Amino acid sequence: MRFIHLADVHLGAVPDRGCPWSSRREEEIWETFRRVIAGIRENPVDLLFIAGDLFHRQPLLRELKEVNYLFSTIPDTRIYLMAGNHDYIKADSFYRDFQWEKNVTFFKNEQLTCVKDEKLDVYVYGLSYEHQEIEKPLYDAARPVEGEGMHILLAHGGDATHIPMNIKGIASAGFDYVALGHIHKPQILIRDGAAYAGALEPIDRNDLGEHGYIEGHLENGRLKTTFVPFACRSYEQILLMLREDSTQASLEDMLKADLATKGRMNIYRIVIRGNRAPELLLLPERLKSFGFVTEVLDESRPAYDLEDLEKKYSGTLIGDYISYFLHKDRNVIEEKALYYGLQALLETSR
Amino acid sequence: MIIRQLNIKNFGKIHDKTLEFSPGINVLYGENESGKTTIHTFIKSMFFGLTRMRGKAARNDTYSTYEPWENPGQYGGTIWFNSKGHNYRLSRNFQKDHAFSELLNEDTKELADIDAVGLEKVLGNVSEAVYDNTVSVAQLKSVTGQDLVRELQNYMASYQGTGDSSIDLGRAMQMLKMSRKGYQVQADKKQKETEQEQQKLQVNMDYIAGEMNDLREKIAQIDEKEGSLGMRPGEENGALLLDEKLAETRKKRNGYALGMLASAAVGIIGLITSALAANSIAVSLTAVAIAAGLVFFCGRQQMKYAREFQKRVRMKNRWMSRQEKLKWSKESLKQDYDEKETDFRNLQEEYREYEENSYLPTLEEMEVQALNLAMETIEMLSENIHHQVGRKLRTRTSQILSEITGGKYQEVLMDAAFHMTVNTGDRTIGLERLSRGTMEQIYFSLRMAAGELLCQEESFPVILDDVFGMYDEERLAAVLKWMHKENKQIIISTCHKREMEILDREGIPYQKLLLS
Repeated sequence: MRFIHLADVHLGAVPDRGCPWSSRREEEIWETFRRVIAGIRENPVDLLFIAGDLFHRQPLLRELKEVNYLFSTIPDTRIYLMAGNHDYIKADSFYRDFQWEKNVTFFKNEQLTCVKDEKLDVYVYGLSYEHQEIEKPLYDAARPVEGEGMHILLAHGGDATHIPMNIKGIASAGFDYVALGHIHKPQILIRDGAAYAGALEPIDRNDLGEHGYIEGHLENGRLKTTFVPFACRSYEQILLMLREDSTQASLEDMLKADLATKGRMNIYRIVIRGNRAPELLLLPERLKSFGFVTEVLDESRPAYDLEDLEKKYSGTLIGDYISYFLHKDRNVIEEKALYYGLQALLETSR
Repeated sequence: MIIRQLNIKNFGKIHDKTLEFSPGINVLYGENESGKTTIHTFIKSMFFGLTRMRGKAARNDTYSTYEPWENPGQYGGTIWFNSKGHNYRLSRNFQKDHAFSELLNEDTKELADIDAVGLEKVLGNVSEAVYDNTVSVAQLKSVTGQDLVRELQNYMASYQGTGDSSIDLGRAMQMLKMSRKGYQVQADKKQKETEQEQQKLQVNMDYIAGEMNDLREKIAQIDEKEGSLGMRPGEENGALLLDEKLAETRKKRNGYALGMLASAAVGIIGLITSALAANSIAVSLTAVAIAAGLVFFCGRQQMKYAREFQKRVRMKNRWMSRQEKLKWSKESLKQDYDEKETDFRNLQEEYREYEENSYLPTLEEMEVQALNLAMETIEMLSENIHHQVGRKLRTRTSQILSEITGGKYQEVLMDAAFHMTVNTGDRTIGLERLSRGTMEQIYFSLRMAAGELLCQEESFPVILDDVFGMYDEERLAAVLKWMHKENKQIIISTCHKREMEILDREGIPYQKLLLS
């Protein structure tokens, strides 16, 4: 027995609106899903679980037809599908009356139901979101039915407003595997027992790191699961550490080197940290032209020794200014204000 | 605070030199390049240390400038001073590998490691910046009259607003404003991009809404057609009407067919009976003629209704297929409409999310906020300082100026635009119309007043570095007398003998310190 566990495909999402690569990413989300199906056609699995949010919003009829067609091309695989909080079954949703292929089992409502697979001794449990938010812990009381075989729970959510879950409790109720969706970062909660597959393709700049799906198979009667990286690109963070002798050019060289090793196809967020020479004028925006860069966060500081300066300038405006900020918990704005003002006062001094 | 004695072990070009100071006026006399500045630097470094700059700046920082060429392991010396009623001895070695400092309270015999404890308490909380602003007084730098006016006005304004003459508040604010402008431009650009994206979404939504309208109209047209065919629910059913008409026609057709048969039969029976019973051929013929007439009539009617029946059947079929077609196209239009509606709602949601996100502050807006906060804080703190020292500074400056000019200039005034004037008692004169000597006097008064105001806890000595070059005899005598009267420790650093001559002539006691 072999299965693939997918989640949070978010077909129809338009990542990074306003960036030049936005529409290409929209297409890539579809394309990667088609690649998963094509892969199954080449090397069939018995079961395909899709743990919610296959669509980013309410699916259009033609989108359902497209997906259904794709499912029809893998007739030997039984597909278990649920609606998540993004593509929840609205009152007039096309999900309601859609006629799925024979090999597709769609969980039609918010009632947790058990379906026995027609060929294997596998029991699949699941429900679909009919609301955008569900605060009731609908999975916590789930118990597998009597029956020899594998008991697999398809579950979407896990935070306070999307079916809060006690994963350990659920798993110990007797489910062999809990196929989770909703959290975009892939993570194994219980080894071979419960996992978030994560988004198949990263959906926005906060979905950092590798993405793909989870593959499971039986080995000597025991279930083994592994994460399979499958997304065509990833969002990564590049940290550039400034030193006192850094310049704009040295920063750009650092970035170029990092991009070369981490890959030019990925999409980056750049964070600049460290201590820079106070007189260095950084142009963070320029870094955006070196690759796919969503944003540049400049968290670097002029290399001032605040305590020393406070002492040195005590009794004058500069001393007062440092003291005003130094001895309180500064938020981001105050931290920046401290350095901006101090630098201006010091650099314009006669 | 009173500086009592210096012992310079090794500092710049000076080795093993001891200087004793009086608590009153001291004249440190020496030719140019004889080491007067070195002594000033030594005193300051003894109190505040010699911190090294980092990186390239270290190459010509104070540490490197005064690092002794010979015997560099010994870099420093000892200073004896009195502060807050206690006598102290402070020894230092600045050499970075043998750094050492020690403060001995000679009265209590307590030793302190000043690197750990700090000197602030002992010095009455005078910081290095305050020391720079009060203790050491150098000559005004400007050469031309106009620059001098500006320099003096800047000094006064800076003292009043910042307590530090070296701070240039105007330029600092200008710098912050320029940074803000830069971020503002970027923020506006982003804002525009966001609006453009929103606009695109809106256009898309409008397009779909248009398509939905078209579909709605088409559906309405079909509804109308259906109405004209009497297909609307509640109205008489068109099919039923057609069926009734059809049945009627069929009945008529069948009736006439029957009539035709009946008249034929009647005709035949008539012929037979008349042939059997009567013998009149005429009667028989008449009966046959009547029957034939009836048959002919019925036949015609039957044919007519048969044709009409066929017509009505065709009509019904046509009607049925049209109805079928309408139904089908309405169905598909509705499906199309539903699809568009879902699409439209999805876009609406996306638009809303996009709008919500655009309310989050962007990075640029945060920078703008930070810059605004910096400017507001500087303004607020500057106002505080102005409030605390501004008026006092002007009053005391005026007082000193009046004293050293024998009442000629009674008051220093400054307007909101930092323009300075002096009041002679009957009129005010702008700085630009005063002689250099008078401006030097104003500057002197300002520095003295600032020293008093900024070092309130403990009065500090004043080191005057060649400041009397522009004073004539009369002015110099007046200022020296004033210093004597003030009873402060003053170190006059000079390369002229005039100061000593006048002090001697006026009978003012002073300590002579000769450098060679």
